[in-house]
Amino acid sequence: MANDILLKIDNLHARIGDREILKGVSLEIKRGEIHAVMGPNGAGKSTLSSVLTGKPAYEVTEGSVLFDGRDLLAMKPEERAWAGLFMSFQYPVEIPGVSITNFMKTAVNAKREAAGLEPLKGGEFLKLMREKMEMVRMKSEFAKREVNVGFSGGEKKRNEIFQMAMLDPSLAILDETDSGLDVDALKIVADGVNAMHTPEKSAIIITHYQKLLEYVVPDVVHVLKDGRIVATGDRSIVDIIENEGFDKF
Amino acid sequence: MKDQGHYIASPAAPGDYVVGAGEKLDLFYFVHPGEDRDIRVRVHLTGPGASVSLAGVYLSGGSEKVSIHTEIYHEAQGCTSDQLFNGIASGSAAVSFYGRIVVAPGADRTEAYQVNHNIVLSDKAKVDTRPQLEIYADDVKCSHGATVGSLNADEEFYMRSRGIPQKEAKVLQMISFVAPVLERIADPGERERTAAEVEEAIRKML
Repeated sequence: MANDILLKIDNLHARIGDREILKGVSLEIKRGEIHAVMGPNGAGKSTLSSVLTGKPAYEVTEGSVLFDGRDLLAMKPEERAWAGLFMSFQYPVEIPGVSITNFMKTAVNAKREAAGLEPLKGGEFLKLMREKMEMVRMKSEFAKREVNVGFSGGEKKRNEIFQMAMLDPSLAILDETDSGLDVDALKIVADGVNAMHTPEKSAIIITHYQKLLEYVVPDVVHVLKDGRIVATGDRSIVDIIENEGFDKF
Repeated sequence: MKDQGHYIASPAAPGDYVVGAGEKLDLFYFVHPGEDRDIRVRVHLTGPGASVSLAGVYLSGGSEKVSIHTEIYHEAQGCTSDQLFNGIASGSAAVSFYGRIVVAPGADRTEAYQVNHNIVLSDKAKVDTRPQLEIYADDVKCSHGATVGSLNADEEFYMRSRGIPQKEAKVLQMISFVAPVLERIADPGERERTAAEVEEAIRKML
């Protein structure tokens, strides 16, 4: 059933400037599936996530992406978020002068407005904030802090997972979310991802380590190398990479 | 003029102020979109421990001409001056900031600070910022900083990726840019009213 497919990437080519980075990527993600995209540095992993979220500066030269049956590439970044796409940034951006509360309230209510819903009432919003902050073990003063300003690496990644929980996406892309995390922070991130996971929701975990995949078990693993998917299979691919590196592919 | 706080929406004539020993002068300027303004303010700090805070916001998005000219004369020991002007120019607005600080001989233990940050949103808008420090005393703490830049594209994309519409992302960035100036308004009610006016003006600029 076509309806089972949440994301369908077909022969995607993309470049930045005049350098072609994605050279024909195809993959399909069904509802409820967790996919891992693994690959060495420079394989095009971050370009793939940037193209899916609509980052300016990347140009798609060929191919198509259907998200929930809609032409993803024709949508603005904010429209993609409203449609249920979320990316946890590899390098979360600091926004001086904007508090987490104000930032999230604007984001949550923009998504609700796009869905024809009333904005959340103040009390409802704060209750949701508290609940999700607890999930990623953020203290209450976190709500007042400026977005990512002065955050440690681990706090930035937990903030990404917090935002993911607040926005409740149908497809979460975790772009190198595990890099630079100690085991405790990694577990918090993994618990967050697992808690969000339902039979309707999918995730793409982009990584070059197997660490996070010990806690969040992928259904499908892809190996991305030099802008192409060179292998697709089950979890056993992770072990091959672990033992033999990416040269094997 | 003890502990005097002024909110000057539209001073008609050049402002000349004398601040004596232990006195404090606090001036705030808000230049609304559509307004041409020529602000000239001269402050003489004449007694030990006198202090002045000058702060201002300008939001000029059409073809406005805005000139801000400040002169601070530190003429006694242990005086403080603190200036913060942040503004946003777009359209074909022309903004100039000229800030002169003179520390007279013998005005030791002076502290003089001046900051002027600008965001330019269009190619045709022009901002000219010129700080000028003249220091004739010893044991002085002085600093000045002036920048002219644009809104940060990475911040904008980050916000849009969370579902914040592009225009709203710019509004948040612009509000946060001028927020430090609004914090200079001592009266909470006045600060809140001004913040609301600033937000309305920013929305009109986009």
